Amino acid sequence: MSELVAAVRKDLLLHWRGRIQAVAIFAFGASALLLFSFAIGPDSLALRQYAAGFLWLGLLLASTLTLAESFEREMEEQALEGLLLLPASPTSLYYGKALANWALLALLGVALVPVMVVLYDAGTMRLLPLLGIIVLGTAGLSAPGTLYAAMTAQTRSRQTLLPLLFFPLVVPVLLAAVKATSLLILGDPMGQLRPWAMLLFLFDAIQWSLGGLLFGRVLED
Amino acid sequence: MIHTSSNTSMMRKPVDSRIPLALVALGVCCLLAGSYWGLARAPSEIFMGDVQRIMYVHVPTAWNAMLTLVFAFTCALLFLFTNDWKWDNRLEGAIEVGVVLSLLLCIQGSIWAKPTWGVWWDWDPRLTTTAVMVCAFGGILALRAFVEDPMKRAVWSAVCCIVASADVPIVYFSVKWWNSLHQAQSSPETVSKAFHWPLRINAFGILFLWTGFVMLRSRIAALRLRSELAPPIPASAGTEAAGAAPAGAAL
Amino acid sequence: MSGVIQGGWEYVIAAYAVTAAVLAAYGASIFLRGRAERQRAPRAAEDR
Repeated sequence: MSELVAAVRKDLLLHWRGRIQAVAIFAFGASALLLFSFAIGPDSLALRQYAAGFLWLGLLLASTLTLAESFEREMEEQALEGLLLLPASPTSLYYGKALANWALLALLGVALVPVMVVLYDAGTMRLLPLLGIIVLGTAGLSAPGTLYAAMTAQTRSRQTLLPLLFFPLVVPVLLAAVKATSLLILGDPMGQLRPWAMLLFLFDAIQWSLGGLLFGRVLED
Repeated sequence: MIHTSSNTSMMRKPVDSRIPLALVALGVCCLLAGSYWGLARAPSEIFMGDVQRIMYVHVPTAWNAMLTLVFAFTCALLFLFTNDWKWDNRLEGAIEVGVVLSLLLCIQGSIWAKPTWGVWWDWDPRLTTTAVMVCAFGGILALRAFVEDPMKRAVWSAVCCIVASADVPIVYFSVKWWNSLHQAQSSPETVSKAFHWPLRINAFGILFLWTGFVMLRSRIAALRLRSELAPPIPASAGTEAAGAAPAGAAL
Repeated sequence: MSGVIQGGWEYVIAAYAVTAAVLAAYGASIFLRGRAERQRAPRAAEDR
């Protein structure tokens, strides 16, 4: 347990020290949301209808940058080997990194909500459920993403490989999170939010367990 | 030469290709017979007319694509537990054949959808899941092409295969649910008894075909692996041989 | 959605043709790659 706390602390500290990059990733996400609106045109009604989709697409694109960057520092000066030499299990290393990535992605998601509100006139009064969906959705991105980033960081074509491997895997997150966010923005007369949230939770449970089980094999030499 | 238990199985002379080639030939015969039956002899279906005949090749492809990827999942698990190279070779073969069959499935589904629903793609849950699988497993093939260390390549492909396979049911249910809110359309589930024989014959045809393909493809993987794991050649032996081994590493 | 779909044979032919083409092309690619790999292997073994 203390290993896990130490690992989380280490990764959060790394994120904090590299916060300039986090700001840059937020700027990337915000400009992505702007570009999406150009694809639809100045049709406020349509923009509001698809706002949830744009938010999560923007978040997905930004997540590849975050995830790739989370392993960049481990690759420099062979820090990864150094980590493995520590008497810490790979599992706690994985969960430490995945938790820190989750925190960053959730923060990013929350930061992009005002951008969405402004650009697409897509706000909601149900802020707590929205936060819940962002938290659940980004958890679903962080777990498999951390696992795959660990692999692709060690390959040659990492920038192409990570999205290529990662995107098909998180289709359920995209579907469920977009649907849930859409219900929050546009109204949910039939109370469909809960099942989508449950789907997200189920996906998260499976991916977080699998990731912890498999990470050790991914890092071994 | 290093003789470990996994090496000796690879160091056997390339076994005769008679069995896989026979399987491929048998598969082709079954496909020809089943397709002839389905195209020329089976009656037209009540509502879909002759377009129904696409099912005689579409449904067998679907069964076999799933079967191949289940086999790939099994190979991935077995490799992680046993670290025996033969499972990695079979994994490579199974994923590649599985991707080809799944891609074929998407194309067939598209061709079937156009006269039936009027659109090339109707977000049918099964076909959409197949499209996601093509991307997911195709990505694993891309990963294999970019990783040079055979051990890492094998472990990582096995890990990715397990995660992707575990994801498939979730993708299916989420797409099914997502789609059900918009469409009342459903794909024909049942095929009446008159149509069973061409279906079964074609199903076995593709089964024999992909089994033969996977066996042949595994051998190619084994040969390439053998050259990658070979002991380094002394500098005096010349540069030509040293150039041959890494050249074979690309797919 | 009711009634009978008339004709549509061109789609049926297209589906079977694509299936045959893809399977044949893949089979051919396995055959060619296998041959290339087998030719390379004994040559590399000879040089050792």
